[in-house]
Amino acid sequence: MIDYLVTVLTEGSIFAIMALGLNIIWGWSGDFDLAFYGYVALGAYMTLALTIGPATPPTTYILGLSLPFPIAVAIAIVSAMLLALIVGAIALRHLRGIYFSIVTLGAVYVLYIFTGQFVPLFNGYNGLSGLFDPMGDFFGLDFSSYSFFYLGLCVVVLIGVLLLVTRLNGSRFGVALRSLREDERAAAAFGRDIYVMKLKAYVLGAGLGGLGGALFAGYLSAFNPSAWSPVETIILYAAILVGGRGSTRGVVLGVAVMVMGLQEATRYLPEIANQPSFAPALRLILTGIILVLFIRFRPQGILPERRLRDQDPAGKGDAAVVETAVTGPTLDTGAA
Amino acid sequence: MTALLEVQDLHKHFGGVQAVDACSFTAAEGQITGLIGPNGAGKSTAIDLISGFKIPDAGTVLFEGKEVQGKTPHIISRMGLIRTFQSPREWPGLSVLENLILACFEPRRERFWRSLWGPSRAEKERANEQLTTARAVLDEFGLFQLRNERAGNLSGGQKRLLEFARIRMAEPRLVILDEPMGGVNPVLGERMASAVLGFITAGTSVVIVEHNLPFIERVTDQVVVMAEGRVIAEGPFDQLRGNPAVVDAYLGEMPSYDDADA
Repeated sequence: MIDYLVTVLTEGSIFAIMALGLNIIWGWSGDFDLAFYGYVALGAYMTLALTIGPATPPTTYILGLSLPFPIAVAIAIVSAMLLALIVGAIALRHLRGIYFSIVTLGAVYVLYIFTGQFVPLFNGYNGLSGLFDPMGDFFGLDFSSYSFFYLGLCVVVLIGVLLLVTRLNGSRFGVALRSLREDERAAAAFGRDIYVMKLKAYVLGAGLGGLGGALFAGYLSAFNPSAWSPVETIILYAAILVGGRGSTRGVVLGVAVMVMGLQEATRYLPEIANQPSFAPALRLILTGIILVLFIRFRPQGILPERRLRDQDPAGKGDAAVVETAVTGPTLDTGAA
Repeated sequence: MTALLEVQDLHKHFGGVQAVDACSFTAAEGQITGLIGPNGAGKSTAIDLISGFKIPDAGTVLFEGKEVQGKTPHIISRMGLIRTFQSPREWPGLSVLENLILACFEPRRERFWRSLWGPSRAEKERANEQLTTARAVLDEFGLFQLRNERAGNLSGGQKRLLEFARIRMAEPRLVILDEPMGGVNPVLGERMASAVLGFITAGTSVVIVEHNLPFIERVTDQVVVMAEGRVIAEGPFDQLRGNPAVVDAYLGEMPSYDDADA
């Protein structure tokens, strides 16, 4: 039972890091990015290629180094950010709303198929494997205690990400990003360089995606195209929407409900003979139903984004960020 | 009076339509300049060209003596020329207060790294000053009680006022108002007229595009009349009434404004 709990929490922490990254892109600056899981995947692949050592035939992949895990993770994050810089620089230049989404979807499928077909890169459809218990030897951990260590690591990283995101959330940078989401022509009219700001948010979000992917690789010890389908992005979107688009607490809660809750709740369903795909299919159906219900009845999510409020009725003293009755953002794809 | 904005020989076409055709006019510092003309005269396109939202085919736009044609909107805005739009463009999901605070562009504080380290003491003071100013401006425009409201929940008239309040916060050198009276009732119109005059007091010169002629007559010092992409007349509104070209292109039979609704 305790092992099970550790597994669920580790996965939850990793997905929360990814969702917080995507929330910067969609929740803050308002771009419905469908390439996000590509950055997660690149983070995972790079971490593996940098830690598992040289390729032994018949497997082939680039790099093949045996770097310490933290350094590999750092390089993986930078790689994801560089890829996002390229994709974002093209897609964010003139495209908004559904057109931006289509281009990013195209980009991620190009990457997906390229990774699968071009075997010398990351060993094609077989993927990479062999990252066992990163940093376990360094800390002298045995098999039984390792999963606790990795959970602790993921939680610590998640807390770090939360601190970073919370800091940015209330800052001028964070609020100015929201103005792009709300009306970018007005934002430009008031001096904001839309392209550069959106690109910054995009690269930052992708960096968190890469970090999530790197931790995911350490957790799975392997990664291949069957582990990453671009559709996974939709699960992250579902978590953000249900929790509260733009809201940090909301996104963490959304991951708890939609990724951990739903996943685990459907696990205990009785198996139907000859229908092994019943539970996963049901999970997707439930995800869809919940999404529709939330879009219809509570588009701002369970914990809506907080707004800067002037608490003092007389209007004196400092403004503070408090829970608001202000309805959250409406659901759109960021179209101007 | 020195020219704050000088538009020289501006051209812009869309397909076969010459929207702006050799348009030239000036807007003086400390004055309210009206820009009027029939629908399709090229007024909105001219504004888009001046503010950088569209790129002219040819011609020069001088703002404070510097060429700005072809520059991007945010660069022109940072130079001190801010525009509004035909329909109010508030940031609907943000609070009214945030809408005002964000009207002040702060290049340093909005940087990513700066936001990460947190504001310096001087910047915190500046933020508090801004908050005080924002409260005063909201009070002036009668929006104080709504300051924590989601801006998208305001009525059409309140959104117009919010736009004016944002301009007051930003304190640009020149503001171009694109049909600010659209859908505004007479009582609110009065308030907006005094707000426009208030811009001058605050050091912001005004160019205003508007179809509401009594309003133009009341607030403007100088009027530029456009038709078919060109400027056909320039001068104080009173003089233009008698100008046959203006009457022919736009005013038509002069209506009596005595019983006009604004």
